[in-house]
Amino acid sequence: MFGIVVAFVLTAGVHGTALAQAKFRIGYAVPLTGTFGRDGNLVKDAYAFWKDLVNAKGGIYVKGKRFPVELIFLDDKSIAAENAKLTERLITKDRVDLILGGFGSDSVFAGSAVAEKYKYPMVSGAASSNKLFERGFKYYFSTLGKATEEVRGCVDIAQILSPRPKTGVILGSDVLFTALACEGYKKYAEQNGIEILHFELFPITLQDYNSMLLKVKQKNPDVLFVGSHLMVAMKMIQAMKEIDFTPKMVTFSYGPTVPDFIKNLGRDAEYVVAASEWAPNLPYKDALFGTAREFNDNYFKKYGRYPDYVEAASAAGVYAMQVAIEKLGIVPPLKQADRVKLMEELHKQDLMTFYGVVKFGPDGANEAHPPVAVQIQNGKLINVFPKEAAEATPWYPMKPWKERQ
Amino acid sequence: MLLFLQSLLNGLLLGGIYAAYSAGFSLIFGVMGVVNLFHGEMVMLGAFITYFGFTLFGIDPFLTLPFSIVFLFIFGYMVQRLIINRVVESPPMISYILTFGIHLIVAYSALWAWTADFRTVTTSYSGVNANVYGVIIPYARLATFGIALCVVMGLYLFLYRSEMGRAIRATAQDKEIARLKGVNIHHIYAVTFGIGAAITGMAGSLISTYFIIFPQMGLPYTILAFCIVVLGGMGYVPGALWGGLILGVIQSVTATYLNAGLSGALTFILLFVMLIVRPAGIAGKGIIE
Repeated sequence: MFGIVVAFVLTAGVHGTALAQAKFRIGYAVPLTGTFGRDGNLVKDAYAFWKDLVNAKGGIYVKGKRFPVELIFLDDKSIAAENAKLTERLITKDRVDLILGGFGSDSVFAGSAVAEKYKYPMVSGAASSNKLFERGFKYYFSTLGKATEEVRGCVDIAQILSPRPKTGVILGSDVLFTALACEGYKKYAEQNGIEILHFELFPITLQDYNSMLLKVKQKNPDVLFVGSHLMVAMKMIQAMKEIDFTPKMVTFSYGPTVPDFIKNLGRDAEYVVAASEWAPNLPYKDALFGTAREFNDNYFKKYGRYPDYVEAASAAGVYAMQVAIEKLGIVPPLKQADRVKLMEELHKQDLMTFYGVVKFGPDGANEAHPPVAVQIQNGKLINVFPKEAAEATPWYPMKPWKERQ
Repeated sequence: MLLFLQSLLNGLLLGGIYAAYSAGFSLIFGVMGVVNLFHGEMVMLGAFITYFGFTLFGIDPFLTLPFSIVFLFIFGYMVQRLIINRVVESPPMISYILTFGIHLIVAYSALWAWTADFRTVTTSYSGVNANVYGVIIPYARLATFGIALCVVMGLYLFLYRSEMGRAIRATAQDKEIARLKGVNIHHIYAVTFGIGAAITGMAGSLISTYFIIFPQMGLPYTILAFCIVVLGGMGYVPGALWGGLILGVIQSVTATYLNAGLSGALTFILLFVMLIVRPAGIAGKGIIE
């Protein structure tokens, strides 16, 4: 009798699990604390935004049925090795159906290697170092362009400035993404005939920027190009003001588009130029998020702040995965064969989204993406380059600190 | 020449900042022999007090100093009295583990309460500077430098001229004799820790006007404070000033003339050389055990 009861309970248990499995369980490891904690939280918000939108409709629509989405996220504490460990845990222990990318090239570099090993397609919207795409991986996809290309708009903007900048200095923190952004600056500066007077990578832990900036000030460049994440960008502006250094223009690879930048620096953030891959005034749309403008406004309604381009890229990435799943008609729990099919489908995809066209090249990088430059004008991020998509003309040259109110 | 003067001045001002947040570390080590691994968290708490005072109540950062001093004194006193006093006579390893544990608890509690956001205290005078014959002097750093000098001098006078200071020094020199003479050493320890915490919190308030504030900012401050105190002599309070100034100037000149990456490496090379060649610090008055 006891045996029968146990058998019954066990069967019920198995049955229960099967029922609970009738949803897509999607996992990701992301920095929620540490150096990239703030940035990583943006990615988390973007995925949650997508999930709520999909679940509000009942879930992902496959074979005439809707399967809701459950997101499982773990904090890698901004440590790359930790990301790899947690990604492995999501796959082997939590047995998630799918994996998404976290934030930052170092973390995603480590995590994607694990995903590749287990044949899990990983779409990321918040990592763009070239090295991510040079590994011959088949399962890694990115809605962002490569880091070296991402800063192109920040340099090409020189073409529409008058007088045209002739000299520049490149400074960047010595981590994967920002170091590559600096390489990109160098490449496009050469193409635009901008002479680079000084090039320096510094440790991300550097506490004081004043003395380093002194020598830059001494060289008197027209443009200061900075390879940065949020914290480096904020510290750079503080230090520039402290030593009273105003080049004609300062650009950042990342940071100023995160809302905290303007919130914290206030008027000191004016004139700052930043690389972006998306802006809400671009003429893109899709079936889930609507137009770029609608995405922007709905995001504001949910979080009380406008999205950063990395959030747009992350949302577009997971949406691309959703569309591929719906097209293939694969249902949870996914098997390895399903994930292989998904990988093949993602390589074939050519999808219009609110973020722009998502079309992954053979190396997984988004091939169809024009770089954008934005500038902070009157406390708002304004799209200033390329000219076709610009909302306003760039403010140039930058006003010296002492002449500002 | 102007560049060199500017770099030197930057170094001295940076040294003042270093001294401001390292003096407390030196005091605590000198009296109790505790290498306090949550030192940086006290800097962080001071910075957050100023941040909240400024953003929520509009109090000028400099006027938040008394709040930081009082709060951190109570915090330091209680932590020592209730927790560290229990292990203060155990082998040093126990106090490392304990203070490291407190570092984690404080940092992660702050993270939970205040999130990982980066914050700044941007006042109307943030980044404002004076131009003296072409040399730029940022006011906020100059004020920190001045206050650091006063703190170190004040602490020195307090230790050598006051009754409490005498008791603290007696306890530091020989706690058994001090105990026999009627000194309540657990109270002395707690007061010392409280004072160390108070000046560290004050330093946190001062730096908040030009550095970024976030819950996990503490560890680099602990590490640098350790380097500075080794340079100046472990436990010798004025040494924090010498250590801070030397390190500040070396880092600044390196960052200006060579590169910023090297300035970090040089810090640790200097630390190793000092430990081997002159373990009692620049002034030769540190504790060697």
